[in-house]
This record gives sequence, structure tokens and C-alpha cells, in this order.
Amino acid sequence: MAFSRMELLEMFRKTASEIVERDFPNISEATVISELGIDSLGMLEIVGSMERQLKVQIPDESLAGIQTVKDLIELVEKRQSL
Amino acid sequence: MSHCPSTDTARQERLYNMYKVFFDKAEQERRWNPLRDVPYDKIRRDAPESLIVVAETFCLVESFLPDYVAKGINVVRPYFGQAWFSANWAYEESKHSVALMEYLLRSGRRTPEQLFDLQNRLMAVSWALPFETARQMTIYGCFQEMATFVIYVKQEQRSKELGDECLATIFRLNARDEIAHCRFYEDVVRVLLEEDREATLRDIAFVAKHFAMPGVGIVPDYDDRVQVMRDEGRVDRSVFLQKVFFPILKYLGVTRQELQQAAWGCHTSGTGVATPADAAVASAVATPRTE
Repeated sequence: MAFSRMELLEMFRKTASEIVERDFPNISEATVISELGIDSLGMLEIVGSMERQLKVQIPDESLAGIQTVKDLIELVEKRQSL
Repeated sequence: MSHCPSTDTARQERLYNMYKVFFDKAEQERRWNPLRDVPYDKIRRDAPESLIVVAETFCLVESFLPDYVAKGINVVRPYFGQAWFSANWAYEESKHSVALMEYLLRSGRRTPEQLFDLQNRLMAVSWALPFETARQMTIYGCFQEMATFVIYVKQEQRSKELGDECLATIFRLNARDEIAHCRFYEDVVRVLLEEDREATLRDIAFVAKHFAMPGVGIVPDYDDRVQVMRDEGRVDRSVFLQKVFFPILKYLGVTRQELQQAAWGCHTSGTGVATPADAAVASAVATPRTE
């Protein structure tokens, strides 16, 4: 089942809140992940959790380029369509 | 680390042999004198203040060496090879701060009063072990030494660009030591993975989740200083993943997915790092379908 971008954004918001133990009420696709106070290893945790929820796997070499929520959503969308 | 006698004896021998290789290579290829082997006559006296802040920050972090040594060596005390490595590590790291202090003083950019006053302020606080066990501290050493190596390399490039050959040399010599330290820690972790892969993976996941560089919370104005270092070295989040985290995993023969599985294993056994969303997925997978 493919999730919409809106659903993926909500999944990111919820997963990030659970992992970082903080609420993020105003996230959009344009949000820069580091500006949420989430470091690179925190981002990997979020990615890992979303991969598990969506049953997809994002290649490691793609992860270093993730700066915004949009970057992550687009990577996930690509994997969903495979 | 576990305390099974036969494992311990075998590990002792391995660690001792690893230390001998490390020490011999260091003696043959890597010994340098911070008072004689650095071209202090090639200091760029009008280097930008941002570069001086970088040098000063490294110097301040390295100044907690007495804490790093005292607390770090006690954690690995039962393991001869690793304890002796720690003693040698302390000697090598001690040269880094001497070279940086000499640079700051001989460049005229910091006076003895300024530097030693800053040192006094530093000694009012002490560094605490970020993790409790020898295995976790060894894993921590991998990440910390590799990150420091990467930052030193980037700052060496920047110093060359800015025409400060002296500082570039210091950063190069320091970087060469740091990667050698990282490799030793990585080789010890490989041994630990062979002995107990599951527990070591859990510890790698745990250390990765809680990792912070040693200056956090103890170096004055650390956040501002780190921002200067990031700007000067052109370091962003992608650098940590590309140059530190994934290369370490590759050297150890560990995948990101294994770490996530290990972290999930901690969660289900109650020592947890995974999320309620993961729990929902696991529950759906585990529950037999009745339809």
C-alpha cells in the first residue's frame, strides 16, 4: 500500500516526536531536519523506524544527502514505487 | 566486556598482540616532536580569527587529557593490551595540545595569561565517562577518534587554503595519530563482535544513539566554537554520515539494518531505544491472522 505525501509527512512528524521526545506541530516538507534539533544519527533512527513501518529500505548512500523533510519523503516515495 | 575466564585469556593474548603491532608501527612511522617537527616559522600571523578559534577549541578539548586518561584507562584496566594502548594513546594525545598551545603562543594571537587563565577555567570542571563499560567506551572511541580525524583533515585543508603552513602541519600530524587510534579501537570491536555479536551490536546501537563529542558541556562557549569549526571546515551532517558513521560500520562488517534490529531487540527486552510505531509493526507481524 503506497502512502500519500501528506501521510508520509505525518508519519515523519509522529516518528520524530517519539524518537526525540518533543512535539513538532509546524513541520512542512520544506523543514530542514537539523533545524528541528535532530542530528544525523537521530535522523537515521527516524529513517529506520519509517523503513520498518513502510517495509521499504533506503540505500545507505542516499541518506547523507537528506537535508529536508522533502528529501526524505521523496526517497521513501521512490522506494514505495519499486 | 564479559568475564568468562577462557574468553578473557584468549582476548588478553589477542589484545596484547594487537597492541604490539600498533606500538611497533607507531614507533617506526609516527613519532614526532611538537617542539622540533612543526614549522613555527611558517605561522601566518594575520590568519583570520576564525582559524585561531578552531586551533584554540581543539587545544581546549585536548586539555582534558588528564580526565580522559584517568577515567578511560581504569575502564580497560583488566585488559593488558588495551590498558597499555591507553597509556600510549595518552602520550600521543599529549603532543596535540602542546603543539596547538605553542602555535597559539608563538603566533602572538593568544598571550600566556589568556591561555593559562582559560586552562584554569577548564580545570574547574571535569569530563565524565559517557558510557559505563569497556566495550561501550571502545565503541565510543571508534566514533570519537574518526570524527576528530575527519575534522582535523578538513581544518588542515582550510589552513593550507589560508596560507598557514604551520597550522596545517599540526593538523596533519594530529590527524595521523587520530586515525591510528580509531583503527585500534575498531580492531578491538571486531574482536568483541566475534566473541558476542548480538551484545556488541546492541552496544554499538546504544553508543550511536547517545554519542556526543567530548567537549560538549565542558568547553566554554562550545556551541559557538563548533559553529565556527563547521563553517571553517565546511562540515555538515552529511560529512558525519559519509566520513564517520558508515565507514566505521563498513570496517566492522556491520549493516545499518543489523544495528536497527539490535536496537529493536533492546526495546523488546525493556532496555529500549525503538519507538511505539515500531512496536505496532512488530505486534502486527507477531499476531497470527485468523481470517
